[in-house]
Amino acid sequence: MTAVGKLVAVQARRTLREPAAAFFMVAFAPLFALLMGLVFGNEPQAEFGDRGYIDANLASFPAIVLAIVSFVLVPIDIVSQRESGALRRFRATPLRPVGYIAADVLVRFAISLLSIAAMFALGMLVFGARPAGDLASVLLAAVLGVLAFLAVGYALAAVMPSQGTAQAFGNVLVYPLIILSGAAVPTAVLPEGVRQVAQFSPLTQLVELLRGLWAGQPWAENWVPLVVLLGVLGAATAVAARFFRWE
Amino acid sequence: MTTAISCANVSKRYGDVRAVDGVSFEVHEGEIFGMIGPNGAGKTTLIECVEGLRERDGGTVEVFGMDPERHTRAIRERTGIQLQSAALPQRIRVGEALDLFAAFYRRSTDWRSLLARLGLEGKARSYVERLSGGERQRVFIALALVNAPELVFLDELTTGLDPQARLAIWDVIRDIRDGGTTVFLTTHFMEEAERLCDRVALVDHGRIVALDTVPGLIASLGAENSMSFTLDGAVPAERLKAVDGVTKVEQVDGRVVIHGNGARFPHGALSVLAEDGLWAQDLRTRQPTLEDVFLALTGRELREGEAG
Repeated sequence: MTAVGKLVAVQARRTLREPAAAFFMVAFAPLFALLMGLVFGNEPQAEFGDRGYIDANLASFPAIVLAIVSFVLVPIDIVSQRESGALRRFRATPLRPVGYIAADVLVRFAISLLSIAAMFALGMLVFGARPAGDLASVLLAAVLGVLAFLAVGYALAAVMPSQGTAQAFGNVLVYPLIILSGAAVPTAVLPEGVRQVAQFSPLTQLVELLRGLWAGQPWAENWVPLVVLLGVLGAATAVAARFFRWE
Repeated sequence: MTTAISCANVSKRYGDVRAVDGVSFEVHEGEIFGMIGPNGAGKTTLIECVEGLRERDGGTVEVFGMDPERHTRAIRERTGIQLQSAALPQRIRVGEALDLFAAFYRRSTDWRSLLARLGLEGKARSYVERLSGGERQRVFIALALVNAPELVFLDELTTGLDPQARLAIWDVIRDIRDGGTTVFLTTHFMEEAERLCDRVALVDHGRIVALDTVPGLIASLGAENSMSFTLDGAVPAERLKAVDGVTKVEQVDGRVVIHGNGARFPHGALSVLAEDGLWAQDLRTRQPTLEDVFLALTGRELREGEAG
């Protein structure tokens, strides 16, 4: 097996051995959908335009997982490996830095996407949720969301000076962003001013894109969130590439 | 003799501190070359400049004739590196780590027998972070050897090891040298340099103050050996002074101290005592050590920095 292939296997195993990371990256999304479905059911309700709670909201749940992964889990894991000297140990081998990053990204990408796919499957099979639009488009948007927010995670890891700062920053930022995004609480309950501010959050844009495509809107109607997410992906990748440090 | 490492006028500053200050030396293929000096002497900065992990400010470094800053990966393939403070990602097993690192190199060795040689058999399935400090240190030595390197860098090789493990590691390093691998190590243990290294560079304040074999360094000091003992009876001082090699006989704090050159005079002195029917009690001998060489050259003791 090639070096990068082995690294993928080892990174996957060690990520899944970390209880908190494994829970949030793998099980949180499906469990959250299950819990919400059990609490609210999926009976048609007037406030959701005569659709059920799960039908109306399932598509936005991935944003919650991605927020936690990108603002908390990825930066803390990478910064702690930098602080301990683990990244430096890899640098002292012939492994190319890009090979290390590729393996790391691939593992987190695959786990996140698997979790999101499991969440959609659960929502559709257990609670009978059905997208009004094209499921493939929704999943494609989820892929873009995973890539953009993983890039944010690496950018944060690159600029955070210490594990403590990364932890504090992530935890302070992640909950307001989730609430503002409308993934957990409908944006309708937010005051008008707050709702307008929320539009500037990329996480809100991801929720809008996922909900829009799930509801059957064409991509053309969602060009704003699409552009925002592509912009976030590009900018965060540039920051990560420019400022990533091995020690 | 072929040259594995060649450094000329290497320097590295941190702000106003000259961590490495114009250092030149060569390491020959197949030798164990040691840099010894107190903590903060610049050993780690220098070894990392040679490894290509740290950018030097000036001078030239060649490893196998290549600049480690420009031909980093070609050199990495042929070298092994043990860092002074190393870590692995959390939740990785010993066997996984070795198997993974072996895959990074074109050439690799059987890591299971490597673990056995380092006394880590049966630890392949243990998590690295759950090992004792000494076991973890040996894992990092194994990682440095997993590609059967032509040259291995060992920065503070036996720190954190108990004396027994230290002896075992020295045997492993000698075996590796005997197998043709060049070893470049740093240490602040005098005994490690004396017992393991073919040649030693004494480093202080970023400079090499002396470089030779250990016997060569000690001989350069021109220091004498001495023996001391207590005696029940009159000291035959004149006859002791006449023994071949003896330079001085004195009495200090109730002990007889005989200074001399070479290794034979103690035997002669004991014969003189035996002729008089006297028996030396609490007999001690003392040879000058690297410690004395270092003290003579720098006015400092090797261990001064150890607490820090």
